[in-house]
Amino acid sequence: MNSLNKYTWIGWTAARSNLAYLGEVASRGIFLFVILYIFLQLWRVTYAETNAEQLGGLTLTQMLWYLGITESITLSSPQVALEVDEDVRTGALAVQLIRPLSYPLYRLWTTLGERIVRFGVNVAIASTVALLFVGTIPLSFGGILLFLLVLPLAFVLDFLATFLVGLGAFWLENTTGLMLIYSRLTMILGGMLIPLELLPESWQPVLQNLPFASILYGPARVFVHPDLAFASELLVRQGVAIGILALLVALVYRTAVKRIHAHGG
Amino acid sequence: MFSRLLSYLQLAAAYIRLNLNAHLEYRGAFFTQMVAMLLNNLVWVAFWGLFFTRFPVLRGWTVQDVITLWAIAGTGFGLAHTVCGNALQLSSLIVQGQLDVWILYPRALLPHLLLGRMNAMSWGDLLFGYGVYLFFVKPDLVHLALFTGLTVSVAMLFVGFNVLTGSLSFYLGNSEGLTQQWRNAMLTFTTYPATLFEGTVKLLLYTLIPAGFVSYLPIEALRSLSGIHALLAVAGSTTVLLVGVAVFYHGLRRYSSGNLMQMRG
Repeated sequence: MNSLNKYTWIGWTAARSNLAYLGEVASRGIFLFVILYIFLQLWRVTYAETNAEQLGGLTLTQMLWYLGITESITLSSPQVALEVDEDVRTGALAVQLIRPLSYPLYRLWTTLGERIVRFGVNVAIASTVALLFVGTIPLSFGGILLFLLVLPLAFVLDFLATFLVGLGAFWLENTTGLMLIYSRLTMILGGMLIPLELLPESWQPVLQNLPFASILYGPARVFVHPDLAFASELLVRQGVAIGILALLVALVYRTAVKRIHAHGG
Repeated sequence: MFSRLLSYLQLAAAYIRLNLNAHLEYRGAFFTQMVAMLLNNLVWVAFWGLFFTRFPVLRGWTVQDVITLWAIAGTGFGLAHTVCGNALQLSSLIVQGQLDVWILYPRALLPHLLLGRMNAMSWGDLLFGYGVYLFFVKPDLVHLALFTGLTVSVAMLFVGFNVLTGSLSFYLGNSEGLTQQWRNAMLTFTTYPATLFEGTVKLLLYTLIPAGFVSYLPIEALRSLSGIHALLAVAGSTTVLLVGVAVFYHGLRRYSSGNLMQMRG
């Protein structure tokens, strides 16, 4: 079995395993429903009180679809850092290392498999909420294609960042706190709660270039407002961020693995 | 009656001291978790700060009111689970048959069980709550006294609600998923102004998801120093606590031992 086949198979197995517990995956969607309903109310009141047709270039309908996508991406995130942290602290990582596969790639493909199923369920729930309360937005084949191009890269980027946090377990007692900080930074700086256009103008050039925006804001913006120029810039930003983070992961992983001590028994 | 109450207060003080000492054994992890929770809450305050910078008033609420809401919810939640940390574990304790060990003690089961554990992250909530209230709202003595009283009421509400949702496991078997979802919904609604909601949802906020006793009544009590709103908030919290206790003891009749050998260290 060649390398690509091997990892594709790992991803497929992770996806199938999640499909087997679809009820459990869907039950987590209740929270998504609640949060989207609250956001709808918040923005409905805001649009009404400001008498605005558009805020940050988005109508109320587009705003709810935008938030549906950012929330679906956020809530589909598997607990990569926690799993890596556990593998490090329990010593399970030593067992993974004797397998004929790369541990980071194994984790990447497992994460992608899980995430695709979870994201699919979340998007179905978010679309139902949006259709129920605000109706449709114009979608085009090209727009969806662009979205499907940038979405997996957003997943890879998020994986690299969370994997890096998990590797922190080699030096820290517990990485839960670090992960919480990362996820909250992504929420605000990545435009999960407020589209970046509505944040202070002086921040925007920096925020647009941070990897957080390439994970949440970018794909959601492409979905509600497909634009080839924006998508091309996003792809470049995602590529650069993935390159830098992959290098960082390789460096930290290489240093970390040297710290593993194997015990018999 | 008085000596019994005093005895339970002494027990609570002893547990708080013991649990805190246990956490301080792993100082790094304890402080990381505490700081992470503090930062997590500050991110939400930042969200509201950014939101109100753009849209100054939301149905009569200003950024001061939302910060007060976060302060009261954070302090109440923190107080509830630094003292009664096991309220968050009730469902799994019931499912795994771990009540056996608590039943053996010559103490009333529920208060003793609740006091048995401290949630480390809740210290972050507690510090955050008082910190932001004193730093951003700058209350006078009367407001600070009322705030302190209301946080106790909110803490009672959280403990009561967690006991109520956790006790579902007596009736439904493993209901951890449902408990978690219900708790998430409650937590989410407690951190958004109740004035955003109308009709059936408003009714829900005073019954099934009793977040209105955090997100409306205490804030109105503090805004206008209204005794009626404060009393209604306390009455609501007391009712939820009493319902939680009643459901727990009713459910306890259905509890069967887990046959689990366990020691408390």
